[in-house]
Amino acid sequence: MSAYLARRLFYSIAVVIGVSVAVFLITHQLGDPVRMMLPLEASEEQYQAARQQLGFNDPVLVQFARFSVDAVRGDFGDSLWMDAPALPLVLERLPATFLLAGTAIIIALVLAVPLGIIAALKPRSLLDHVASLTALLGLSIADFWLGLMLIFIFPVSLGLFYTSGYGTWEHLVLPAVTLAARPLGRISQIVRSSVLDELDKNYVTAARARGLSEQATLLGHALRNAAIPIVTLTGFELTRLLAGFTVVVEAVFGWPGVGLLAVDAIERQDLPLLQADVFVVAMIVVVINLLIDLLYGALDPRIRY
Amino acid sequence: MRKLAILFCVILAGALLLSVSPLMAQDSSITVAIGGDPTTLDPQAADDGNERAVNDNIYETLLTRDASMALQPLLAEGYEQIDATTWQFTLKSGISFTNGEPMNAEAVAFSINRNINPEFNSEQLSFFETITGASVVDDLTVSITTNGPDPILPARMYWLKIVPPVAAQADGFAENPVGTGPYKFVSWSRGQQIELEANAEYWGGAPSISRVVIRPIPEESTRLAALQAGEVDFVRDLIPEQIDQAPVVKHIPGLEFPIVRLNNKDGILTDVRIRQAINYAVDKEAIAEALYGGYAVVAQAQVINSSHFGFNPDVQAYPYAPDMARQLLAEAGYSGEPIQFIGEAGRWLKDRELIEVVAAMLTDVGITVDVQILEWSNYLDLLFAAENQPSMIFVANDNTLFDADRTFSGYYSCEGRVSSYCNDEVTQLINTARTETDSAARLEMYHRVVELTREDAAFLFLVNLENIYGLSERLEWEPRQDGKILFAQMTLK
Repeated sequence: MSAYLARRLFYSIAVVIGVSVAVFLITHQLGDPVRMMLPLEASEEQYQAARQQLGFNDPVLVQFARFSVDAVRGDFGDSLWMDAPALPLVLERLPATFLLAGTAIIIALVLAVPLGIIAALKPRSLLDHVASLTALLGLSIADFWLGLMLIFIFPVSLGLFYTSGYGTWEHLVLPAVTLAARPLGRISQIVRSSVLDELDKNYVTAARARGLSEQATLLGHALRNAAIPIVTLTGFELTRLLAGFTVVVEAVFGWPGVGLLAVDAIERQDLPLLQADVFVVAMIVVVINLLIDLLYGALDPRIRY
Repeated sequence: MRKLAILFCVILAGALLLSVSPLMAQDSSITVAIGGDPTTLDPQAADDGNERAVNDNIYETLLTRDASMALQPLLAEGYEQIDATTWQFTLKSGISFTNGEPMNAEAVAFSINRNINPEFNSEQLSFFETITGASVVDDLTVSITTNGPDPILPARMYWLKIVPPVAAQADGFAENPVGTGPYKFVSWSRGQQIELEANAEYWGGAPSISRVVIRPIPEESTRLAALQAGEVDFVRDLIPEQIDQAPVVKHIPGLEFPIVRLNNKDGILTDVRIRQAINYAVDKEAIAEALYGGYAVVAQAQVINSSHFGFNPDVQAYPYAPDMARQLLAEAGYSGEPIQFIGEAGRWLKDRELIEVVAAMLTDVGITVDVQILEWSNYLDLLFAAENQPSMIFVANDNTLFDADRTFSGYYSCEGRVSSYCNDEVTQLINTARTETDSAARLEMYHRVVELTREDAAFLFLVNLENIYGLSERLEWEPRQDGKILFAQMTLK
C-alpha cells in the first residue's frame, strides 16, 4: 500500500510539473500579453518599457528558469492585470467552484441512481423510456440555455431564488441544478447499464434462489458490484467540473468561481494567473484520481495495492 | 371572538407599520450591475472601465466635466498657464481624504508623479505622456511641467485621480481605495461584490443614496434578468435587443466609434477613388437602425463627436450612393482584385455582425472583399504592424480625453501607432495643433484635418454608438456622454 502510494505520489508530481512546463512553453509562444494589457493608443516607448519591466524581453530560457525557481516556492508571480499574487487569486475562488461542482454532483447522484435503477429493473418498459429520455435530455441540453431558461422561469417570472450572485443556498440552487444536468444524464445511463449487467449474473440468480428479497438482492449485491463504474464516472464528472467546465454556468449566473477567472486569464493572456490556475487544476485532478483509486479498494476488497 | 379578531388586526397593522417605517427611512441603498470585476482598485494603475465604474465615485480629479462636457474645477479652485511648459493649479482648501490625510499640493504633486513614474508602469500613461513632473509651490498651489507646450493639459487633469500619499504607499492600496469623493470604500469580495457607503463628510455635501453595492454580472441576459427580478437597480451596457424588456431605459451618444482603417500607404487602397467608393458603398443609416436598433448615430465623417474639442460640425457623412461607388471604382480601373479586410469578434459591441454587413455592402458594388476574422492577439499583431499593413482593418476608438489630439495622433497621423493613413498635410496640422496654445487657432487646424480626411477618405467612417443603461422604476438618473456612472447623481423616487 505505502509503496503504491509512494509511486502514485511520484507520478502525480511528475504530471503536475509536466503540465506546468507545457503551459509555460505554450503560452509564451502565443501572442503578446503586454500589447493586450495596454490601451491601443499607448506609445511604443511605453510598450517597450512595460515589456522590459515585466521581464518579457529576457530570453525564454531565462524567463523559464525564473518561473521554475519561483513556482517551486509556490510563487507564480503577480497577475499582470490584477496587480496581486496569482496563486492566492486562484485559491480564493476555489471554494465557490467546489461548492457549486460538489452540489451539482450530489444533485446528479441523488437523482441519477434511483433513475438508473428504475430503468434497469424494468428494461424497455415505459418507465425505462422516460428515464432514458430524461438522461438523454440532461446530457444534450446546452447549459447556458438551460441556465437562462431557469433564470427566466424562477427569479424573473416567479420571484424565486436569484438570477445571479453568491452567498446563500438560494443563490446556489439554479446554477447547481443547471450544472447537474449533464452528470445526471451520464450517471443515470451508466447506473442503468451496469445494474442491468449485474442483474444478469449468476450470483444474483443464486441470491434469488436462496430466497433473498428482491430489495436485498439489488441493494446488497447488484448495486454494490455495479458501484465501480458509477464511482469512476462520478469522479470523472467531478474532475471535469472542477477543471473549469463550470465556466459557462459561472458566467451565466455571475458565480465567483475559478472557471470565470481562468477564462479571463486566457482572454487577457495573463500568464502568471493562467499558470497558477493550471497548476491548481492539475493538483485537483491528481488528488481526485488518487482518492477514486483508493475508493475502489474500499468498494471491492479484491482490489489490493 | 370578534373583539379578538379586531385586536389581532390592529396588532398586525401596527407591527407592519413598525417594521416598514424604519426600512423606508433607511432604504436608500441600491445595487448596481457592471460587466465584470475590476482588475484592481488602484485608480492610477489600469485602463479598465469596471475599475472606473467604482473609483469614479471614490476618487476625484482636479477638473471635472459638467453635463455638457465642459471642463469645470473640482478639487482645483482654478488654473493658469505660467509659461509655455508650466501650468499652475490652485486647490480648494479644507478638503481631506476619508482616512484624514489632507488633500493639498503635496498630495496632488505626489499623485501626478506617481502616475507618470515609468517604474509604476501605469496603463494610463498614454493620457499623461507630455507631463514631465509636478511640484509643490505652496500648500494649495501645484505647478505641473510638460515636455513642450501642451494645450490639452487641463483635459488630462480631468482624467488623473488624486490619491492620498501615505495610503498609496502602504501595502494593499490596490484593494483599499481611499479618496476625497462622495463615496467611501467598504469592502470587496473579488468576483462577488464591492460595497460603498456615502461619505457623510463629503466636502460637496453627502450624497442622497447612502449605500451602493456593485456586482459583476458578465452575461448580458443575466444582467437584464437581475434588473427585471428587482435584484439590481441599475445595469450598464444593455444591448439594443434587450431594451423593450428593461423597466426604464436611458441612452446617450457615447464615445465609441467603430471604424474601418483604410491603408493608403501601399496596396490597392492608395487610390483615393477606391477609398471614397468604399465610403459611398456603405449604408450607415441602415447599420445604425438595423444592427444597433437605432441606438447609434451616423458619424459625421470623423472619429469624434460634438462633445470632443476639434469636432467639425460642418462636415457631413458620405451619403449612401452605391452608383457613385460603382462609378468611382470604374474610374479607378478596379477590376475585382481582392481587398483584405481584417476583423475580430467579441471585443466590441456587434463587431462581427458589423464587419459582415460592411463586407456584404462592399460586395454589392462589386468589390471583392477577403474578410478574415482573427483571434485577438493575431488581430493585434496586424493592427500594430508597421510594415505590410492590411488594406482594411476594423477597429473601434473611444476618446475619453475629449480632445481630438488623442484620436488624431493615434489614427490620423503618419506617425500614429495605430495608423495606416499617411497624408503629410494632415500630419503637419496635427503636430502643430498639439502644441498650439491659442485654442481658436487649434480648433481651426482640427477643422481642417477633418475636412481633409473626409475628402481623402482616410477611413471608412461608420457610426457613433450610444451607451444604453437599464434602471429600476425607483431610480432617477441621467446618463453622461463620458460614460461615467456617478452614484452621487442618482436619487430614489
